[in-house]
Amino acid sequence: MNQFLKKFINYLKKIGDLSFGIFCSIGEIVLFFIECVKYIFLDKFYPKVFLAQLIKIGYNSLPVVGLTSIFTGMVLALQSYTGFSRFSAESAIPNVVVLSITRELAPVLAGLMVAGRSGAAIAAEIGTMKVTEQIDALKTLSTNPYNYLIVPRILAGLISLPFLVFIGDIIGVFGGYLICTQVLNFNPTVYLQNTFNFVQFLDVFSGLVKACVFGFIITFMGCYHGFNAKGGAQGVGMSTTYSVVSSSILILLTNYILTSLFFDL
Amino acid sequence: MRRLKINIENLSKSFSGKNVLKKLNLKVYESESLAIIGESGSGKSVLTKCIDGLLDYDSGFISYDKIRNIKELNSKKKNAYMTKFGILFQNAALFDSLTIEENLRFAKKDCDLSKILVDVSLPKSILQEYPSNLSIGVQKRIGLARAILKDPEILILDEPTTGLDPIIGRQIILLIKKLVKKNKITTITVTHDMESVYEFSDYTAFIKNGKISWYGKSKDILKSRNKPLINFINGIY
Repeated sequence: MNQFLKKFINYLKKIGDLSFGIFCSIGEIVLFFIECVKYIFLDKFYPKVFLAQLIKIGYNSLPVVGLTSIFTGMVLALQSYTGFSRFSAESAIPNVVVLSITRELAPVLAGLMVAGRSGAAIAAEIGTMKVTEQIDALKTLSTNPYNYLIVPRILAGLISLPFLVFIGDIIGVFGGYLICTQVLNFNPTVYLQNTFNFVQFLDVFSGLVKACVFGFIITFMGCYHGFNAKGGAQGVGMSTTYSVVSSSILILLTNYILTSLFFDL
Repeated sequence: MRRLKINIENLSKSFSGKNVLKKLNLKVYESESLAIIGESGSGKSVLTKCIDGLLDYDSGFISYDKIRNIKELNSKKKNAYMTKFGILFQNAALFDSLTIEENLRFAKKDCDLSKILVDVSLPKSILQEYPSNLSIGVQKRIGLARAILKDPEILILDEPTTGLDPIIGRQIILLIKKLVKKNKITTITVTHDMESVYEFSDYTAFIKNGKISWYGKSKDILKSRNKPLINFINGIY
């Protein structure tokens, strides 16, 4: 009986420790968020660093986002055709492609790709700076690490993701067009007409707003995990993993919330 | 007459329930060179990070000139306080993504860098290199140049010879000695290396279990009867 009680207390202690850890992490993230937002408006802005990040996060992610979008558009057209041809609804393929790409696939896939590419890079870079005392060096050289490291990355993420997604929208729709006109023998003019007649401003706009939110999530989680990296190379590796996993989960979660908000579901 | 620069009283700092500094007392005087020695994990680097404001301490106080307790400074004043220190970090902590010139310009924007490069015995051609292309010995020289370039009131050297072979280590020690004497900067050196202590430190503090176990003139270390210090010098831990 005594042993059972001990085990039960240990079990409760573990649950308590876990809950305490989770609340501590949430608290830390909230405090980090407040600091980030504060320094977006306060102190010095580093335009050179911001531009460099804009190129790193935005421009350099173009090939990977473009490839993802074109193949997604192509697969979507092929799969829709297989399904729709069973009940002679092939003419709906352009609508399905354009809606799926602009509302969901382009923002989510671009977000996940950029999280894997740039989010990981941000966490690794800042994490290395943390464990090699470069962030401490910044502080002693009268440079606020929030202004120098965090703010330019977050702003670059906020701005570049919508552009990436917009380009992804165009490439994705083009992928669907390519398959339908070259492989499935659709009339190009009719395909384009169906695409543009059906798509509405809100479809594209909702995708771009999602992209903005995902851009923030990716850069924020990358910066947070990098800034809190501990230990040596292992700590940096862990911060990179946490950054990618947490941003991916948050992207999927916020995507659901935003979709239900935008389309009143 | 020695002028008190930093006064540390009853300083305590703990990490995750582990007490690293336990009511530590220490005084640092102007234009003097103080060495802090002790075993790994004894709290030497934590102490210097509390002094330069990079870490907040739990209790006690650190006063600096007319500042009564640096813990009470607001963030703006704290930033201004931190600029009084020039720090050579253990691994130099140069910014990887910047060239050597950009690293040095971080400390002082508009100045002639050739003079400081002469001081640390490096050629001008190094300015366009990136830190990753340089040996750790050269990186430490650049780190030292960056620390001195901002004309600090206090120079903190964190393990200046760690990771260097004996010859390069000796060169760094002589370089630091030359620069400290030339600039008459108050210096705090955290080290394991007794050669650095004998070479350029006026006073030495030995930390054991989060407290100062011995403090005195560096030249008197070998006369000390403090057993932990004797064991430390003889490499018996």
